[in-house]
Amino acid sequence: MMPKNKESGNTKETQSPEKQILISTNLAENLKEISNQFGNSTDIVIRKFTIICTRVQVAAVYIDGLVDKIKVDDFVSHAMSFNTHTEGQQEVTSGKDAFEYIKEKALSIGEETMIKDWKELCGGLLSGQTLILIEGLGEAISGSTSGGEVRTVSEATTQVSIRGSKESFTESIDTNISLIRRRIKSPNLWVETMKIGVVTQTNVSIMYINGIASEKALQKLKTQLKEIHVDAILESGYIEQLIEENKFSPFPTVFNTERPDSVAANLLEGRIAIIVDGTPFVLIAPATFIMFFQAVEDYYQRFDISSLIRLLRFLCLVISLFGPAIFISALNFHQEMIPTPLLINLASQREGVPFPAFVEAIIMEVTFEIIREAGIRLPSQIGQTVSIIGGLVLGQAAVQAGIVSPAMVIVVSITGISSFATPAFNMALSIRYLRFAIVFIAAFMGLYGISIVAFILIAHMCSLRSLGVPYMSPLGPFIPDSQKDAVYRSPLQSMRTRPRLVSQKNNVRMDSDEGKRGDKQ
Amino acid sequence: MRKEVISSYQLFAMIVLFEFGTALVVPIGLESGHAVWVSILMALPGGIILYLIYNYLYLEFPTMNISGYTQKILGKYIGWTLSLLYIPVLLFNGSRNLREAGDLLIAASYDQTPVFIINSMMVIAVMYTLYKGIEVFARSAEIYFFVIILMGLICNFVVIAAGLVDLKNLFPLHSKDWKDALASAYPNILIFPFGELVCFTTIFPHFNKSHKARRAGVMAIVLSGLLLCFTHAIEIAVLGENIYSRSTFPIFTTITLVNLANFIQRLDALVILALVVGVFFKMSIYCYAVMSVTADLFKVREIRNLTLPVGIVVLFSSIVSAESYPVHMDEGKVFLKYILPILCAVIPLLLVIVHYIRKKFGLYR
Repeated sequence: MMPKNKESGNTKETQSPEKQILISTNLAENLKEISNQFGNSTDIVIRKFTIICTRVQVAAVYIDGLVDKIKVDDFVSHAMSFNTHTEGQQEVTSGKDAFEYIKEKALSIGEETMIKDWKELCGGLLSGQTLILIEGLGEAISGSTSGGEVRTVSEATTQVSIRGSKESFTESIDTNISLIRRRIKSPNLWVETMKIGVVTQTNVSIMYINGIASEKALQKLKTQLKEIHVDAILESGYIEQLIEENKFSPFPTVFNTERPDSVAANLLEGRIAIIVDGTPFVLIAPATFIMFFQAVEDYYQRFDISSLIRLLRFLCLVISLFGPAIFISALNFHQEMIPTPLLINLASQREGVPFPAFVEAIIMEVTFEIIREAGIRLPSQIGQTVSIIGGLVLGQAAVQAGIVSPAMVIVVSITGISSFATPAFNMALSIRYLRFAIVFIAAFMGLYGISIVAFILIAHMCSLRSLGVPYMSPLGPFIPDSQKDAVYRSPLQSMRTRPRLVSQKNNVRMDSDEGKRGDKQ
Repeated sequence: MRKEVISSYQLFAMIVLFEFGTALVVPIGLESGHAVWVSILMALPGGIILYLIYNYLYLEFPTMNISGYTQKILGKYIGWTLSLLYIPVLLFNGSRNLREAGDLLIAASYDQTPVFIINSMMVIAVMYTLYKGIEVFARSAEIYFFVIILMGLICNFVVIAAGLVDLKNLFPLHSKDWKDALASAYPNILIFPFGELVCFTTIFPHFNKSHKARRAGVMAIVLSGLLLCFTHAIEIAVLGENIYSRSTFPIFTTITLVNLANFIQRLDALVILALVVGVFFKMSIYCYAVMSVTADLFKVREIRNLTLPVGIVVLFSSIVSAESYPVHMDEGKVFLKYILPILCAVIPLLLVIVHYIRKKFGLYR
């Protein structure tokens, strides 16, 4: 199928276990083969020309759109500009000479490599390299000319913060890595890149700080990544789902963020970042439950304020998980819990409502979910209209039509708003659908049912692990040292150690001397 | 499978929750009248001694549970038979806890719900947790430890703040009261709740730092003893001796009296939650003890496989063991007086003595 030619002297030494298919020395054949391999795709650009002084046929090949045109021109013209004889140089007559010469020259501008193998050649083309093929040579010079249109670094859209960096990740893996590197200027920040996805050949990098990240977690992650055999990785969500240990758990065990400062902070705590090409969402593992309720801003504000805000978030968690359930169980089973005047009020409101409280709650919750889901997919202007119609008009009308009671509308909307107070969107999603199950139990068993569900939920969460780290740490297992940055955040000066279990070695964040100096300032 | 380990915090939390269990809710040591709180304090040293006995046996045989070392100390046949006794007794005790929780719930607000449904919900939660393993169970205990301490603080605070406490109900203590207190402390309160810690002999082998078990355990017992004493003292101070001893669940009656600024009233739900949490942990530990002993005696390799049978037996025996709550309490008195002391105190003490003699005279092969 492919013309093989072993005339070139140095082909034998490049024998690798899997059979290599080598580039032929015939230029025309090579070009034809490239066209064939890519199915004559129109975005493959082949520019043929002849080096005048040697009459050697040369061709430059690249894929339009993946390369930066200016870089291509620079590379090609730089490589080819040897028409005049320079002093002390041999005259370039044969292809071999030309090749040597070009190589010498071309390599001087860096990022150029020699390619002998077809597989490498195709890979190079697809990642935006320009290849120069020369008649009579079984090698190609590849120049890194990747470029083309990428989104520029812009403001975070899903994890907005009032204070703190406005940068967010883009779809380009190189940009993303550089954004993190700029924040941690340490040679110990290590990056390992691999290609995952049989068809997509997506670049996936894992980034960690050597000496802080736990070796065990790192090994585990690497083996998990190596075990992935799928044809496509289009978003980091693919990787997330493929490496999660508890596939049937409602809780996410891998954290994701689009903020470089968040990634940097997590790397410094000993976690590992997984960056996937083509998505601005970077994964962070191992993740703990508490992490999903912490925002980067917590560290930028004063500790007392951020501690209170964290407590507020946990309150919101409780409301969004148990809010409607507690209301229903109070109405159905524990009327004595409600102060009498309020109870009379509620009863009179519910007088005209034909449904039991449970059905009422489900109607409103489902309506709320529909409005929310519809709002996400719509353009922002229409989205607002939908939320006004949905929220205001529908809520008001449902009450007036006697389908639900006003109190239920209040409960459902406070629940809905509370669920948005969770900084991590994927956690908020899990909580939202768990809520339905809890409402169901509460309708039949009241508070007792809720507490039974809570036992099961907590036991379940305690059984989860993320890369070997218990999900509920530092609460269960309880780690006193790590309490400084869990439910509340203590002042930065007192956060001397990194969270245990995440980073077991090199645990000290600051020397006690430095800490003292910090205290004095 | 990986060996499951528990830390000293987890042991501490488990012991406290276990001690609270039902003891927080049901009246204990009725004979001593208004001096119950004194008897709890009196029983405390005994409880610590009992714990030290279990702990001594654990330190001598760090990898075995109670049935394991009973067989080692008393020989295969006597030991095996004696250990077999633990299974029905612990099962029955676990099911009694379940029954108490079910009855309180029905009395409180579930008069329409069959007791079977209520109990089976609890058993499902227990089975799920135990199926996940003792490590997971210990971690949830740590989390619930804070929950129950928080609830306890709130309850006690509102009761005191509402001005219900009348110290005249606690004093004076005459010499007869002291005698009564001592009489109910030994053996009643010593066994329930302190002697029931015998269950922890099956949990000790999972402990990761064996030398810390003693300290964590003793601290937990002291803390839970003091809190129990405090709670029961408050109950008596609020209700008076008469109502305290007659009401089924004195803490429940106490809390219903709270009316703070016409706003905070009827905090019954908190008490129910405290009871549910306590019973959940106590029952789970009983079930785990049964599973552990059974697995050891009948050579069951995967202890998790016993979750379902044990859970179902506990569920049914909680319903069939007594036709009504008074009968249940009567049974409890007999059980507490004649059966539990043997298993909780006599056998472990016997084991310690025999072990000591055999060790001293080199009678182990």
